[in-house]
Amino acid sequence: MNTLTAYILKRLGQFVFVIFTGVTLAFFITNLSPVDPVEQSLTQLTSFGASDPRAVQMMRDSLAELYGLQGNLFEQYINFWSRVIRADFGPSLSAFPTPVSTLILNAAPWTVGLLLLSILITFVLGNTIGALAGYFRKSRMLRVLGLGIMTINPVPHYFIGLILLIMLGYVFPLFPISGGAQMNIPTGFNWAFISSVLYHGFLPALSLVLAGLGGWFIGMRSLVSNIVTDDHVIYAELGGVPGRKIFSQYVARNAMLPQFTGLAMQIGQIFGGTVIVEFLFNYPGMGRLLIQGIYRGDYSLVLGVTTISIIAVAVSVLLIDLLYPLIDPRVKLE
Amino acid sequence: MKLLRYIYTTIGVVGLAAPALAQEFISGLPRNETLIIQGPEAQNADWFNLWAPGGGAQANGNQQLSADTLWFINPEGSGEDAWQNALAAAPPEYNDDFTTMTVSLKDGIYWSDGQPFTAEDVVYTVETMIEHPGMNWSARLSVSVDTVEAIDDHTVVFNLKSPNSRFHTLFTVRWNAAWIMPKHIFSEYDDPLTASFNPPVSLSAYVLENYDSNGQWAIWRLRDDWERTSIGMTLDSAPEVTYVVYRTAGNPDARVIEQLNNNLDVINDIAPEGMFTIAREAADTTAQWLPGFPFAHPDPTLPSVLFNNQLDKLSDPRVRWALALMIDIRSVSMGSYRGAANIAALSVPPTGTAIPTYYEPMQEWLTNFELDTGESTIQPYNPDIAEQIAELVTPQWGDSIPPDPDLRREMFGFGWWNQDVDAAAELLRAAGFTQSGNSWLTPEGEPFTLTLQVEGDNIPTLARAGNIIAQQWSMNGVPTNINVAGPTHSQRLDVGDYEAAIFWTVETWGGHPDLSFFLESFHSDFIVPLGESQPPRNLQRWENAQLDDIIERNRVLAFDSPEVAELGVEYLKLAVEEMPFIPLMAYNKFAPFDTTYWTGYPSIENPYAASGPFWSNIRYMVTALERTGAE
Repeated sequence: MNTLTAYILKRLGQFVFVIFTGVTLAFFITNLSPVDPVEQSLTQLTSFGASDPRAVQMMRDSLAELYGLQGNLFEQYINFWSRVIRADFGPSLSAFPTPVSTLILNAAPWTVGLLLLSILITFVLGNTIGALAGYFRKSRMLRVLGLGIMTINPVPHYFIGLILLIMLGYVFPLFPISGGAQMNIPTGFNWAFISSVLYHGFLPALSLVLAGLGGWFIGMRSLVSNIVTDDHVIYAELGGVPGRKIFSQYVARNAMLPQFTGLAMQIGQIFGGTVIVEFLFNYPGMGRLLIQGIYRGDYSLVLGVTTISIIAVAVSVLLIDLLYPLIDPRVKLE
Repeated sequence: MKLLRYIYTTIGVVGLAAPALAQEFISGLPRNETLIIQGPEAQNADWFNLWAPGGGAQANGNQQLSADTLWFINPEGSGEDAWQNALAAAPPEYNDDFTTMTVSLKDGIYWSDGQPFTAEDVVYTVETMIEHPGMNWSARLSVSVDTVEAIDDHTVVFNLKSPNSRFHTLFTVRWNAAWIMPKHIFSEYDDPLTASFNPPVSLSAYVLENYDSNGQWAIWRLRDDWERTSIGMTLDSAPEVTYVVYRTAGNPDARVIEQLNNNLDVINDIAPEGMFTIAREAADTTAQWLPGFPFAHPDPTLPSVLFNNQLDKLSDPRVRWALALMIDIRSVSMGSYRGAANIAALSVPPTGTAIPTYYEPMQEWLTNFELDTGESTIQPYNPDIAEQIAELVTPQWGDSIPPDPDLRREMFGFGWWNQDVDAAAELLRAAGFTQSGNSWLTPEGEPFTLTLQVEGDNIPTLARAGNIIAQQWSMNGVPTNINVAGPTHSQRLDVGDYEAAIFWTVETWGGHPDLSFFLESFHSDFIVPLGESQPPRNLQRWENAQLDDIIERNRVLAFDSPEVAELGVEYLKLAVEEMPFIPLMAYNKFAPFDTTYWTGYPSIENPYAASGPFWSNIRYMVTALERTGAE
C-alpha cells in the first residue's frame, strides 16, 4: 500500500468514526431531553377544549404507538441507525406523519442559499480588505475601514440583525423583515421569484455579512502582515517585481490557504442553519426547523437536522484533508 | 486602490438596487380586499387533515375559516346571544336521562366541491374517529358513544354509553371542537389517519387559495357559493373580505413593526410595551378590545399561582391562604402587565358571562367573607384594589382611565385580597409552622422554602408575575426560587414535578355559565399519585369531597339549567375557602387591529366574537368586517 492510499484510508476511517460518534451522541442526548413528544401533543390536543379525563390515557397510549416510541432506548437506537442508513429519519412527531426528510428538504434550500451567499460574500470581502490592510499598512482609508470592521466585530450578530430590522425595516422601511420570499408568488427559476428571494434575504444576509466580516479581516491581515516580512517577498521587492504582482502572487495567494480551511468548515456548518438570524427575520430555514423541533420535543426532527449537519461538517473536513496535499506543497503525507 | 473603489461601488450598487426590487406585499391580491392575520408557523403545512394528530395546522385558517361543526359559543357573549347554531338547526335535544342526543341539521349546506352536507357526514365522522384510535377526537368519542345513526338526511341521533348532559360540548366550538369530515372524500382514502386532505374541501365560507410548504403563510378565498354555508346563511350580504391571509411574522417586536407598516391587520400575543407603542404611534389607525388603557383582550383563562396540593407543606389551606396574603396584587399587576391586568379573586376568569353571573353577584359575599387565622378573624377582601391600580396608572395614561367605576371594573377587574403579612403569620402559626428569625420552619422543623416554576419568555407577563410573587414571599420569610422551565413547563406540571407554578387550570366557555369545561377534570376519581400524569386541568391535584359532590350534581343537570350557575357559585365559595390555587388575573392578551383597510372589529362595546386569531370564532369577525375604502 503506498503512502497516498494509506493516507486516504486513514482519513476515511476517521470520517466514519466521527460520523458514528457524533450521531450516536446526538441520539442519546436528544433522547435524554425532558421534553416528551407524546405529552406535547396531548397538551395541544387537550388545551383548547373540555376533555374527559378517562379519554386522556387512551389518547396517550394511541399517540405513543403511532409515534413508534415503544420499546427501550437501545431498540430505538438500532432502529434509528437502520433508518439513517436508508436516509430515512422517520416521521416528524410534531408534524406527524410528514417525513422529517420532507421538512428538511423544504427548509434546506433557504438556509443553504442564505448562508452560502453570505459566507462567500463575507469571505471575499473580509479577506480582500484584510489582505489590503495587511499589505498597504499606511493607507488611511484602509485604516478607517479596518477600524469600522473591528468596531462591529465584537457586536453579537443578533444585535446587528435587530438594529438592521429596526432601521431598514421600520424607520426606513426599505426591506421586508419577515419571510423568505413574497407571498403567493410562483416558486421557480424565474426572475420574479429570484429577485423576491434576494430582496427578502437582504437584511438577514447583511447581518450575517457584517457579523462575519471581522473574523476573516483580522485573520487575513495578520497572515499578510507576517508574509510581507518573509524573505521571498523582500527579495521580490528588491528585485523590482511590481507591487501589484507581489501582492497578488506572492502575498495574498500564500495567505489564502489557511483561510480556505476556515471556509470549508463554515460551509460544512451550513446545514445546522443560523438559528438566531432565522428566528429574528422569520426566515424559513434549518435553524428555525431545529428550534421548533427542540421546543416541540420532536426527536426525529432534531436528530434529522443534527445528523445532516454532522455529516456535512465531516465531509468538509474530509475534503480539506484529501485536497490539501494536492494544493499545498508544504503539506507532506508523512 | 482601484480594488477598493470596486468594492465601494459594488456595495453602493447593491444598496441602491435592492430597494428597487420592492414588490407589492402579496403577489396578485388587492390589499384592500385582503385581511392579513398573524398566525404561527404551520407545523405540517402540506396537511389539512384536522382529524389526525399533527395533521393540519390548527392556526393557519383551516380550522378558523373552512371547517365547521354543530354549534359555537361566543366566549365574549352572554345569554342567548352567546349560543350560535352552526351546522345544527337548533340546540341539542337530550332525553330525560341524557342517554341520547338528537341533532337537527340545517338544510341547504354544501361542501365547497358542490356535494351536499348531510347527516351521513356526521355519522361518518363519529364512526371513523372511533374506529381509528389515533385520531384527535377518537378517545373522547369512544368513551361516550355507543351508536350514532342518521334518521334522515338532516337528523342524527347519538346513543350514549352512559348519561352525559355535556356530550354536545364535543361538537361545540369555543376555540376548537370535533369538526365534521366530508364522507365523500375521506371514504376514498385507505387510511383517514394518514391522508393529507390536500386540497381541503371546505364546509365554511372560505376555501384554500394557496399556501407555503414551509408553513409561513396560507391564503383563503371567499367561496363563490358562500350563501350555502352555515355562516353564509346568517348574512344579509356577501362578506367584504375576499381573501384572508394567515402569515407568520416572527417575534413579538417584528409583529408590532409589521402592523405599524400596515402589513398585518390582526396581531396577537405582543408584550404590553408593544401595545403601548402601537397605541401611541398609530392611535388613529388602531382598534383594540378596550378603547384605551389597558387595551387588552382578556381570554377566558385564569393565570394563577398553582400549588401542588399533594405536597405536605402545601396541603393545608391555611398555608395556601398565608401565601396568598403575602402577595400585593398591585405590585404583581404593575410589574407583570404594567398595570394593564384584569385582576381576579374568584376561581373563574372575569370574562364574558362570568361577570354578570359570578363576579357582580358575589361581591357582597366576598366583602363579608371572614377568615379565621387562629388568632383573629379578618375580612381579607378589598373591593377597591382594582380601583387603586387604576389610580396608579392614571398619571401615565390620564384621560384613558375613565372616572366611571363600572368602566374601571371592566378594565381592571374587581377587588382582591389585601396584603396582610400579620394575618399570614397567624395562619402559619395555626398550621404548626414556627418562625426562626425572619424565616419560617415547617411543623417538622425544616426551613419552609418554595420553588416557583414559570414557563419563561414564551409568556413574559406571567414570568414577570412569578418573579414578583417569589420576591414577596421571600421578603416575608418564605425563601422562594424561580425555576424557568421553558418547554418542559406543562410536562412537569402534568406529573406533579413542581411546588408552586404560574399557569392556568381554569378555562371557561366565557359565553356560558357552565363550568364543566374544567370542573369535570377536578373530580377526585382522576387524581393520580405524584410522578404519574394527571389528566388536564386539575394540575394542582386538589382533592375535596365537597367539590366531588358539586361536580356529580352538575353532571346530571341540563347544560342550560339555572342551577348550573348556582353550582358554579358553590364551587367558587369552596375555592375561596380552600385556596387550592391563587387566582391572579384574566389572561390579558394584547391584540390590536389595524383599521387602515378594515373596520368593525369586535370590542368590549360590540363583543360579537373572540378577537384571537387562533380562535375559530374569528370567522364571525372576518365576515363582519367592512372596507374603509383605502386603496
